[in-house]
Amino acid sequence: MSVIVAKHLTKIYNPKTVPVNALRGVDLTIEKGEFTAIVGPSGSGKTTLLNIIGGLDKPSDGSIRVDNEDITQLSDNELIDFRQKKIGFVFQSYNLIPVLTVEENTEFVMLLQKRPKAEREKRVAELLDSVGLSDKKTKRPNQLSGGQQQRVAVARALAPKPAFILADEPTANLDSASASNLLDIMEKLNREEGVTFVFSTHDQRVIDRARRVVTLVDGAIGSDEIRGN
Amino acid sequence: MLFKIAWRNIWRSRIRSVVVILSVAIGVWALSFVLSFSNGITYTYISNAIRDQLSHLQLHNPKFPEDKNSKFFLTDVSKKLDTIRQMPEVEATTARAIATGMVSSARTASGVKIVGVIPASEMKVTHFEKNIKEGEYFKEDRHNEILLSERTAEKLKVKLRSRVVLTFQNLDGDITTAAFRVVGLFSTGNMITDEGSVYVKADDLKKNLIPQTSESDSLAAQSVVSQDIAQEIAIYLKDAKLVGDVKKKLQALFPGTLVEDYWQLSPDIELYETQIHTSNNIIIIIFMLALIFGIINTMLMAVLERYKELGMLMAIGMNKVKIFTMIVLETLMLGLVAAPLGLGLGLLTVHLLQDKGIDLKAFAAGLERFGISTTIFPVLDPGLYARIALAVLITTLLASLYPARKAVKLDPVEALHKI
Repeated sequence: MSVIVAKHLTKIYNPKTVPVNALRGVDLTIEKGEFTAIVGPSGSGKTTLLNIIGGLDKPSDGSIRVDNEDITQLSDNELIDFRQKKIGFVFQSYNLIPVLTVEENTEFVMLLQKRPKAEREKRVAELLDSVGLSDKKTKRPNQLSGGQQQRVAVARALAPKPAFILADEPTANLDSASASNLLDIMEKLNREEGVTFVFSTHDQRVIDRARRVVTLVDGAIGSDEIRGN
Repeated sequence: MLFKIAWRNIWRSRIRSVVVILSVAIGVWALSFVLSFSNGITYTYISNAIRDQLSHLQLHNPKFPEDKNSKFFLTDVSKKLDTIRQMPEVEATTARAIATGMVSSARTASGVKIVGVIPASEMKVTHFEKNIKEGEYFKEDRHNEILLSERTAEKLKVKLRSRVVLTFQNLDGDITTAAFRVVGLFSTGNMITDEGSVYVKADDLKKNLIPQTSESDSLAAQSVVSQDIAQEIAIYLKDAKLVGDVKKKLQALFPGTLVEDYWQLSPDIELYETQIHTSNNIIIIIFMLALIFGIINTMLMAVLERYKELGMLMAIGMNKVKIFTMIVLETLMLGLVAAPLGLGLGLLTVHLLQDKGIDLKAFAAGLERFGISTTIFPVLDPGLYARIALAVLITTLLASLYPARKAVKLDPVEALHKI
């Protein structure tokens, strides 16, 4: 089943003044359970593609369906709602709400969705267990290492059971051990629970572990490599 | 959840929040103090005026107020006084004979209102004896005694025991004169009263005011003969709030008599109250303006430094209404912490000064000119409290709108990639 179907995505910034073609007709389909890295040098359109897939930005042309819903037709407010329900975000930094504890951060999106308390508590416990942070649940983000913070971000992103996780350079600020640990956890979630991951990354450590690597060159897909590992 | 985040967000920049809270609290404190001080001035002014001069209600001949001519008097006064005394709301009542004339010494003369009082009942209504600074109040058995204000005495260059001459028209319109001996010098703290009035016993005044012969046998004439007349009846009530009720009763009891409350007797009270009220409102508005920019500045800083975080919140699905509410809540919480603190300080200050009063002797000369006594007792009424609290609430709410708008206008993509 396809989670993301992008057809002929085009994005032109400043169309009236100095047009910049960030995406030039990208076609991309991502199936459920994929562990895909979108790579490419700076300016290749990687971030733009990710923003469009994540419903943070709209294409100038083309269509994008996420979980069978055409998100180009949604209003800003509908998009916020859509992101809350369908997409789990993991950013490079500033992922967590500094004033909330690990537990509260993990619970946050479910709270926005007004899920019942019992369900939230159960899910938070499961997720913190799976990212190995059960013992840190009452800590605030500034009491955690960068790697631990990213693991909380993964738990938070997974909490509402989204269609896929969109991770924008998740390992960029991490040392090797933390990066490896984070990738282990994500791989495990992917293999055991079938969570779909889409990364944008420069990081060779992430690229090495990806099972599909989509390379963008000048706003178009340069290569799309599916690996067997 | 929003409350929790907003509350914790306030304490992220502890120093900044404490500074804002303290500045708002100090502002509220100063505001509540200034307003209760000016309330105190009004209150003292009005209660002094009631206590020393006006009483709560006065009865006159309907024609008297116009030109203060003694010939427009009230008749059957003792019966009226008896009726009034029996009313449960009345604390005390007295009648006064009033004439307009001149007081003169060997050196100079001065135009005055000559007030003839019944010493015993006047004491109960105006406590006038308290204003005697030198000498003494009227004695029962003596005649032709006069009380002058210290100012008038100075002006006339007379002392205690000096003799002065009062010149005025009697009821027939003839000029009459009588000599009086100064027995006491008073000061009411109100320069207008002090310079404008002299006090004698009603009997002494009436003796000269009422012609000895009368040919008519009308009620008025009978009253005149029996000297049962007065130009004024003053009534002091147990509670100022009863003025309206008692006024209506008196109007029903004594048709054809003019019944006025202190507002009507002294329109300057109303003017004064309105003025103080207006200036209080202006002070509140100035305070709000000063406050609003301080809060906007702080909250804008709080929003701008959390740009990325707000972008992240929007990205993960926190909608604009919630973001907006969060910022408004944060701002309101600052105000809600600060306002009670400031109001508490204000209440404490006012409470401490309420009994002792604020001594303004240094400015006394200027204040007395306006009929304000030199010690001000600040008054903080609950209504004022509510108005200040409301002002802070409205100000913080208004101040929160711009930063909150700024927060929801941000573009999550831009915010997240901002370095």
